[in-house]
Parts: sequence; structure tokens; C-alpha cells
Amino acid sequence: MMGGEDYRDRFEDIDWDDMQRSGLDSLTTQTAGFLASLGVVALLLVYDYVVVANDGPTFTTPFEWDVTQLDWLLVVTLLTVVFFAVYPLYDNPRMSRRYWREFRKNRAAVVSGVFLVGIFGLGLVGPLFIAKPDLNVLAQYQPPVFLSVPESTVGTCVGPVSDGMCHGTWQYPLGTTGQGKGIMKSVIYGMRVSLEVGLITPLIIIIIGTAVGTVAAYSGGIVDELLMRYVDIQLTFPTFFLYLLLLYLYGGTLFLLIVIFGITSWGSTARLVRSEALQRREEEYIQAAQSAGASEFWVIRKHLVPNVSNTVITNASLLIPSLILFEAAFSFLGLGDPTVPSWGQVISAGRSDIDTAWWISTIPGVFLFTTVLALNFVGDALRDALDPRAED
Amino acid sequence: MTEPLLSIRNLKTHFHTDEGTVRAVDGVSLDVDRGETVCVVGESGSGKTVTAESITRLIPEPPGEIVDGTVRFDGEDVTAMSEKQLEALRGGRIGHIFQNPQGALNPVYTVGWQIREAIQLHDKKAKDKEARERAIDLLDRVGIPDATSRIDDYPHEFSGGMKQRIVIAMALASNPDLLIADEPTTALDVTIQMQILRLLNQVQEEFNTGIVMITHDLGVVAEVADRVVVMYAGKVMEEGDVYEIFENPSHPYTRALLECLPGRGEKMSAIGGSLPSTTSPPDGCRFHPRCPYAVGDCEIGEQPPMYAVDDGDHAVSCVHFEPGADPSVVLGEDGSDAVGGARADGGDETGGDAR
Repeated sequence: MMGGEDYRDRFEDIDWDDMQRSGLDSLTTQTAGFLASLGVVALLLVYDYVVVANDGPTFTTPFEWDVTQLDWLLVVTLLTVVFFAVYPLYDNPRMSRRYWREFRKNRAAVVSGVFLVGIFGLGLVGPLFIAKPDLNVLAQYQPPVFLSVPESTVGTCVGPVSDGMCHGTWQYPLGTTGQGKGIMKSVIYGMRVSLEVGLITPLIIIIIGTAVGTVAAYSGGIVDELLMRYVDIQLTFPTFFLYLLLLYLYGGTLFLLIVIFGITSWGSTARLVRSEALQRREEEYIQAAQSAGASEFWVIRKHLVPNVSNTVITNASLLIPSLILFEAAFSFLGLGDPTVPSWGQVISAGRSDIDTAWWISTIPGVFLFTTVLALNFVGDALRDALDPRAED
Repeated sequence: MTEPLLSIRNLKTHFHTDEGTVRAVDGVSLDVDRGETVCVVGESGSGKTVTAESITRLIPEPPGEIVDGTVRFDGEDVTAMSEKQLEALRGGRIGHIFQNPQGALNPVYTVGWQIREAIQLHDKKAKDKEARERAIDLLDRVGIPDATSRIDDYPHEFSGGMKQRIVIAMALASNPDLLIADEPTTALDVTIQMQILRLLNQVQEEFNTGIVMITHDLGVVAEVADRVVVMYAGKVMEEGDVYEIFENPSHPYTRALLECLPGRGEKMSAIGGSLPSTTSPPDGCRFHPRCPYAVGDCEIGEQPPMYAVDDGDHAVSCVHFEPGADPSVVLGEDGSDAVGGARADGGDETGGDAR
């Protein structure tokens, strides 16, 4: 152990100016900003359901956007992510730089990150400007641009025909399906679906799982017992069949899928968080906070939750790709939302034409594959960057 | 006579476990006045920490429970307080200092945030800017050099001694009347120990704070204590003025403890055996299985009451000090071999404070 005085010298060459304080006041700004934004969203929601005619679009300028239930949920989710994940990074540039330095070491993760930003950015804004892919029997099985197929495969070739080969056009850069839907548009809409599945469901799972896990660990005794036995029951509960049941009762919607899986799959997250929180709650700073007069809620919110966040983020990085794959599998089996062109659905649509029109299944498949792979790379790097024990 | 700042009477804190009831604290009484330092000494497992935590009811309930006794702080009964009142008391009028400063600071927040938390939990009106200034002030007061810039550092950027100063700053955030220091120097190296003890001493002189110091280090006791309470297996064995305890130790346990202390110029000797089971403590005096002077009376009934030794408030729980009994059995023929007395004036030779 070093004496305090000589230790100090090592820090004097740090540039103090770029230090930014973060603390109670910024946390209140954060919460205030979040609540204010939620208020605005709530007002818009009321406007949408009370003022706007039932089928009319919510916004007409600058673009026409009929905000759906799912869109509202996505907006709230994005707000949560911005205020509780992005804002703290902005507010604390020093920590952020440290995380970035660690993250940067993993090249594959950086490339993956850029790719994911592109995919999800496009998925977020794309559907606002691009009309949904529509049926067009005159444009079946069009090949992607720069590629050509025998004219016999294609109903009516939209692009140029030469030597009995139909060439792809820029009108359908990635070709079309057997129903004449543009795969490009479908893929972009599929990005939106993956974004929604990969963001909303994990967020619901994480919020409930973290709350239950930390409260159970902190309170102990009967509270712990009740919460964890409920988790046991929930883990044995067949969510899949519940979804099927609701599917037959109300029809399959993406909203239903996302919400059902969100509120019934947090059990394992709660268990993970609890086991981590059990260790953390024995730390002296928890007792120090109690002895400083902090209430139970304050200790859990301000001291326990931030210290289990590594576990939570690691868990999320595993949840997101698996949920995206899960949704794709559901859609492939025809159990998804028939109105939403998700990747799984397009893959399924092209499976009987794989001999003649390989691109229909392959292109969304490649997107699914690369997205999940990229998510795993990023998750891996995040885990390394955020784990304080991994420091050298 | 005015009431002392803190008055613990016959405190019994038990833990109900699967293995039975652990009588961690089993009938402890002690008083602390303003401006006074009371040291609670004893081996690990003797119930010192549980006593300290019982003062503000920090013990986890369940399994812990204060089954009997009262804790009166400034005339109010803490054992009857609601959770809200306790939260106001903790960190407000009673500050805690912990054994391990590495652990007592939350690694995810800057030290400034943590001190402001301690301030704002009790002064809800304090604005962030004001609280920050007070935090800088506190850091300055506990001897953190360059407090204005270091306030935005994270705990891992401080050395152990500096961290303990920060913990003390947090404990001082609301100008408490009583500080409970649970082995505040045990985790620190020797050169830092003395600085921290002096800091506590300065704080005490400045604000007339009462201090309950939990320690097993008799060197620390000699340095800071006004009065000493010797605990063993959840019971008070002996209490009295620090000079009395060091110069005229009466309970066989106290004497044995002092013999364990190195550097007295005499042969050191360890206490044989180990602490008795706290789930089923022995009858009679808790110390009798390890006591070289144990007689038949020691093994029956309850722990002996506190008998006065000589005059003043020096008292001891030992059958040999019962009026009419012969204390020379324990004390030896001359009745006054001053075990470790030479250190009662403290090892003041260590260098000046960091400031």
C-alpha cells in the first residue's frame, strides 16, 4: 500500500479540465428528461387515440406515419435506451473513453458495431420513407441487379432481356419474391422487425428481471422466497403454448409476440441478477449507504443496480441475438405476424423456389446471419470492456 | 447528573439461525458522553461489531433481533424508533466509519458523488452546487490534498489511507454527535493508522463528538481511548478508565489480552483455547473454560455482575472481585503488577500528521 502523498503525484499529469462531474444533479436531469419525454409521448398517444380518426395516419408531415401500438412501444424503448444508456455515457466522457479504449481492442466488434448501427438505423428510419413492399404479379421472381436468370423462371421480366436471360434492374436491387414483393424493401422492413424484437423484448426482460433479482437479493427472507418460487413456476411455464393460444384467439401480431415474450421470459435473468446481487449486497458500501441513512429503495436503485449492471449487460447481449433468431424461427413456421415482412417470413416464402430463385431465401438469410454474428461479436467485446475484473 | 449522549443498557442482540440462536450480544451496557472516546475491545467474534451495529439497528432483521435492552441516544429510545426515524439518525446524528475503506466506497461513483449523497440524504434542501462545495470542504478537512480536483476521482484512484479519510468525510457529512468507528485502522498500514487516529482526535476536539471505537488493537486503545469496555463472548468483562484498565487490569481476560500485546518488554503469551460457542455458551462466567483462576463458583449460574474495583467507575465481572472475596487470586500478592501500563500514555513518537 502506498502513502497518500506520493500516490497523488501520479495523477497530477492528468488533464483535469476534461473531467466532468457526474452525480446527483445529473441523475436528476436524466430522470427529469426521461419523464418529460415520456409525457410528450403520452400526449401524442392521447392525440392519436382521441383526436385522429381511427384509420388515419398520426402524422402527415414531413412524412406519413400511422403510429402503431408497436411503434409507441418502440419510441418508449428508444427513450429509455437514450436516457439510461446513452446519456450516462455522454455525461461521463472519462468512463466512456475508457470503455471505448477497451472495446476498440476487438476489431471484429468495431466492424460489427458499425454494421449494426447501419442495419438498425436503416430499420428505424427506412420504413418511414419507404412504402411497404406490395404484391405485384407482373414482377415475380426478378433477379437482383447485375444477375440474370433464364427468362422462363421469371413471369414478366422487368429488366432488359438478352439471350433468353432476364437481367436484374435497379427498380428491384435485390430482386423480388414469388409474389413480386421487392426483397430490398422486405429486408429493410425486416430490419425494423429485428430492431423491435431485439430492443423491446430484452428491455422488458431486463427491467423486470433486474427489479425482481435485486429486490429478492436485497430483501432476503420471505420476499426472496416468494419472488424466486414465482420465477421457478414461470420458468416451467410453456410460453410457446401461451403464444399459440393467443395466436388462435386474437391472431398473430408482432406486438403480441414481443409483449408475451417480454413479460414471461425474465425468469432466468432475474436468477442471474439475484445471484450477482447476493454477492454485491454483502459489500461494505451497501452497509455504508445504509449507515448514511439511505432508504431501502435508494440503496437498491443507486448502489445495488449499478453494481450488477455488468451482469445485466452481458445477459442482454446474449438475449438480443437469441430473440431475433427466435422471431425469425416463428415467422418461418408461419406463426409470426403475416402483415409484417420479417426476415424469417421472407426466408420461408422463398424456400420452395430455392432451385430457381435462390436469392429470395438467401438474401434475408445472409442479413439474419450477419446481424446475429455481429451482435455476438459486439456482446463479447462489451463484456470485456465493462468487466472491471478483466483489467490488467 | 445529565444523561450521557449514548446509553446502552442490558442490550441483547441475537441471531436466529438454523443452528440455533446465536447470542452475539448478551447483556451489554455502556455509556458514551459528548467528547468522549469509548473503546470496545475483545477478540474477533466477541460481539463488538454487533454491538456497534445495534446502536443504529443496522443488523439485518431477520435473522437478527434486539431481544432485550435499550439503546438511548440523546434521551431517545432507538430500539423503539420507526424505520424513517432510524434513517434520519443514521448518517445524520450518528456517523459510521467502517473497517475496510476499500469496500466502504462504491466503485461505480466518484467520491464527490458519495459525499454529496451523504450530505443530501440528510439535508434535502442542499442544492447540488452547495453540496459539492461542502463535499470539497469536508475532503479538505480530512486532509485530502487538492480536494477541488480530486473530488471527481473514483475510489480506486485513492490509496487505502486516503480512502479511509474519505469514509470519515462521509461520516462527518452531517456533523454527527456520535461517531461509531468499527476497527477504522485495521485494514491500514501502521504509518497511516496513526494519521487516521489523529484525524479522529482532531474532529472530536473540534465538534465535541462522542466516539465509539471498536478495535482489537490495544495499541490503538492506548492511543485514543478515554474509557475502555472489554467484551468477551457477548458479555462485558471489564470496563473503566483507560489508565485504570492498563495499569490495574483486573479481569483475568483483560490481563490475558494485555499479555498478548507485543512490545511490553515481557514475555508474550497467547490465550489458550478459543471463544466458546455462542449458541450454547457455558454456564457461569463465559471465560471460565480458558481462565487460569477459575474456581467452582465460576462454572455455575449467570455471568457475575459488575463489581466495583477500588473506586471510580472501574468495574469487573469476576467472582474474585465480589465484595468479601479475595482479588489477590487474580492480581497476585502485591495486587498491582502494571501489565502494559507503560503504553497507557500512547506511542506518540510516530511522526506528524499528513497535513
